Order: sequence, then structure tokens, then C-alpha cells
Amino acid sequence: MREVVVKVEDLKFRYREGKKRALDGVSFEVFKGEFFCIIGANGSGKSTLCNALVGLVPYYFTGNKKGSVVIDGVDTDNSSIAELSQKIGLVFQNPFNQLSYTASNVAEELAYGLGNHGVPRDEMIKRVEYVAKLMRIDHILHKNPLELSGGQVQRVAFGSTFILEPNILVLDECTTQLDPLGSEEIFDIVKELNKTGITVIMVDHDMERVARCADRIMVLDKGKTVCIDTPDAIFSNPDIVNYNIEAPDYVSICKALKERGYYSGDYKITEEPTVEVVKEALVK
Amino acid sequence: MRIELISLGHVYPTGDEALKGVDLVIEGTEPVAIIGQNGAGKTTLVKHFNGILRPTSGQVLINGEDINNRSTAQWSRDVGYVFQNPDDQIFLETIRKEFEFGPKQIGMPEEKIKEQMDFVSELCLLKDKLDLHPFDLTLTEKKFCTIGSIIMMDPKVIIFDEPTCGQDVEGNKRLKNIVKTLQDMGKLCITISHDMKFVVENFRHVIVMCKGKVLLDGDSKEVFSQVDKLKQSFVSPPPITRVAQKAGFKETVFNIDEFMREFDNRKEK
Repeated sequence: MREVVVKVEDLKFRYREGKKRALDGVSFEVFKGEFFCIIGANGSGKSTLCNALVGLVPYYFTGNKKGSVVIDGVDTDNSSIAELSQKIGLVFQNPFNQLSYTASNVAEELAYGLGNHGVPRDEMIKRVEYVAKLMRIDHILHKNPLELSGGQVQRVAFGSTFILEPNILVLDECTTQLDPLGSEEIFDIVKELNKTGITVIMVDHDMERVARCADRIMVLDKGKTVCIDTPDAIFSNPDIVNYNIEAPDYVSICKALKERGYYSGDYKITEEPTVEVVKEALVK
Repeated sequence: MRIELISLGHVYPTGDEALKGVDLVIEGTEPVAIIGQNGAGKTTLVKHFNGILRPTSGQVLINGEDINNRSTAQWSRDVGYVFQNPDDQIFLETIRKEFEFGPKQIGMPEEKIKEQMDFVSELCLLKDKLDLHPFDLTLTEKKFCTIGSIIMMDPKVIIFDEPTCGQDVEGNKRLKNIVKTLQDMGKLCITISHDMKFVVENFRHVIVMCKGKVLLDGDSKEVFSQVDKLKQSFVSPPPITRVAQKAGFKETVFNIDEFMREFDNRKEK
């Protein structure tokens, strides 16, 4: 049996001023070392769920919460944001919301969380240097965080989460400010971290990327879990359009070839296998 | 409207040379997409179209008139720029006030403001949210709020800086409809985007920027067929196009219908 590190059961949440529930029955488990993706239209509850995983819901965003969120065996109701942050780290959707606004340069910004956790100075310097190099921000350590470009702030935000060395990383559309190459760089790092055993929970709108990375995918709609399955199964399911999700273009290529009788196998969800299918269909 | 750039250069006060001699003509109502890596100079370029930035060398001509002849406030009646980060643009306490602000500044008559308000709030799907505080909107709704407040001023040219960032399927459809509607009204839309699927679906005129220069400028099919040049600018064609190219298709295709047509052509041979 694989070890369960995140267990969410029938989670419901209504923001204090909210008219309806942002989450209305979400249940899932994530296994240790898994790459778990969450997809769904804007407003389906993805960001609220991310906030609930790290304790921002209900400690920072207050409201009416039902059901349970258990991280590494600890119910978030019996924990605190500070305690949780050593187990699970969130990279915000809007990196500007993640800055401490007290640090005078990037190095201090990165070290901010470490200070709160009482990490000794020598260790702090080591970790800042390591993370700065990893995120390719070692050339801007002296700069004021407020003078950076959107893409740079996103790298700093990612670094300041990762520096706490959580075993579970939650990424809420964490590359919206980056160009495609910059996003790929970040995802290569995430994939590397995942290979070293870190559990990744990722929210993203780029279905090609989700298809490439995910071990399993959960579809959210109007605050509810619709289904949880492998990328192959999710994207082969014609019903997903009902949830405002478009399968990767590779699926539509396979479908079109299948309809014409040039292909009879499974739908492909990544580029290289699709190219092979097309090449074979051409000589058939 | 005709926007003409003659060896346009821009060096920021920090010494960073963002534009290195750009020659370019944009005219008519065919929507234009500008693509390229972060730091290629896309935003710096478009900020010259209504004088938010002024050339440090070369010239910008709007309908033949030098950009330096007028202030940005004056130009913005003709050319509107929607900021990349909505928080840089939003500053009032309701969306209605955001929408009214620009038109009032340029002395638009009350009647016309009302008409525009109905049209724009419908177009941006913000009709039910006009009296909310912009900071109660989601990031993507905020983007539509900033888009709407520029369209409110009824400029002839509208520039969108990364409108697709963070949008879902529905948001992209909403944007598509905005671009199409503005084109039908005879406006010129110029859009910076990293989302290649969105670009090929909505724009036939594509400009690729790389290191402060224009690398490619032309019909989208023409542009996306030049794989090696695109690589220089770190731009990658959309998935369907890439699969077709790797499978050896000669024609550049952008959607599944074109893909299958080209597949059949090759099959017959």
C-alpha cells in the first residue's frame, strides 16, 4: 500500500461573505511522491482548495468549513499555518500576494520563512544560495522585490516556498507571469523535485502540460469532485467538455484519425506518441 | 489607422537597450498578434503606440503624425493600452467608476457614456458586477475590467498586453469575441500573447520579436512555417502545428480540419 500524505474528505467551505459554497463536497487522497493535478474552470474552487490544503482556509480566510483535510496524518483543524508550512508549501497564483513586503532585497525575501522557523544563520545562507541558483535568481539577490518583473517575482515566490523544504508542494497556476520557455524551466525543476520523492499537487490550465506531468488528475466543477483518474482516462472521456475543459489537441488528432479508420488504438495525450500515430497512419 | 515605426530605438534610464531599431507598419483593421520571449521588447514596443514611452531614437508616426506632437492623454483618445498587470491600472472603488473614468476625462457626453456602459459591460460579461469593488473580482475578471475600461473610451486602436494569462476555456472565448467584435466595428486590435493556440485561432497578422528587434512579420501561416527562426526567439508553434511539422506535412496547419485536409493530401500522394 502506498502511503497517503493528503486525505480530504467531503470538504465544504463557504467564505464568510460568500453567498454560496466555494467548495461543496471535495474528496480525494494523494500518495507520497505522486504528481497530482487539479483541473476545472475558473470559479470551480481550485484556489480555495489549495488554500485549504495549507491551512489558509479556515485560519486566514475565515468562513464555514465542514469535512476534513488531513496532511501527513494531522488534521488541519488541530494544527496551525506555521506548523503546516513545514509539511506542505503553497506557491500562490498571484506571486505579488506572496511577497512579505518587509524584505528589502530578494535574499531577505527568500530567507523570510526560515527566520520565522528559527533556522540558524549559517544554514539560512546555505539554503538561500542553493534555492537562488536552482530558481536562476542568483543574479538578482540584491534587488528590491518590488522592482522585479512579473516572471522574476514568480521565481522568487516559488523559491521562498521551496526553501522551507516541504515534502508536499502545492502549485496554484504558478507560472502565469512567465513566457513558455520560463514556464518550462520551472516545470523541469518541479519534475526534478518530484523525482526526489516530493509530492506535487498542481493546478494548471495548460492541458498539454497536465497530460505530460500528472500521475492522476482530479476534475473539479462548482466546488465538487467530478472524477479522479489517470490522464489517459480523463482526456479520453468525451464528457469533460461539460466542465469547460478541453483535452490536449493530441486527442482530437487521434479521434479524427480513428473516425476515418486510420487508427484504432488509445488516444494519445502527448506530442511524440501522436507524431508516431500520424506517421504510421500515413503509410497505412 | 496607420502606425509606422522608423528605426525605433528605446534605451531605458537604467541603460537597458530594449529596442534596437524597429521598422514596422501596422494598418487597417486586421488584428495583430505580437509574440516573443519575456524581455524581447514587446511591451516596450507597444507602449510607444500612444506615447506612454517616447522614442530615444528613431520615429513613431500615427496616421503620419509624429508621436511627440501630442501628449499621451491626447493620444489615448485614439490608441488605448490595457496594462499587463490589472493592479497597475485599477484604482477606483467600483467597476462602474473604472468604466466611467476615462470617458469623463476626455469629455464624452453623458448619453454616449451610458451607451458605452451597456455595450462594454455586456461585451466583457461584467453586467452583474458593475457595482462591486474591483478587488473583489478574480484575477481574470479584473483583466476584463481593465479591458472594458479602455474599450469604454472608444479608441480606434486597442492594445492588449497578455490578456490570456490565467484565462480558462471560457475566458479565452470571451476574449475571442471581444477581438472579433472590435474588428467588426472597424477597430484595430494589437495583442501581446504567450498563448500560441489563442494567437493562431484569432490573428492572421503575427509579429515575432526577439532581443529588441522584429524577427518575423507577416501572415501567421508564413510565420509559423519558419521553424528555425522561431527557435531563435524561443517561440514554439501550437501543438497541432508541431505534430504536423514533425510528421512531415508541408503546409502549416492550425486546427484539426486543416490537419486532416493536409493528411488526406499527403495520403493521396
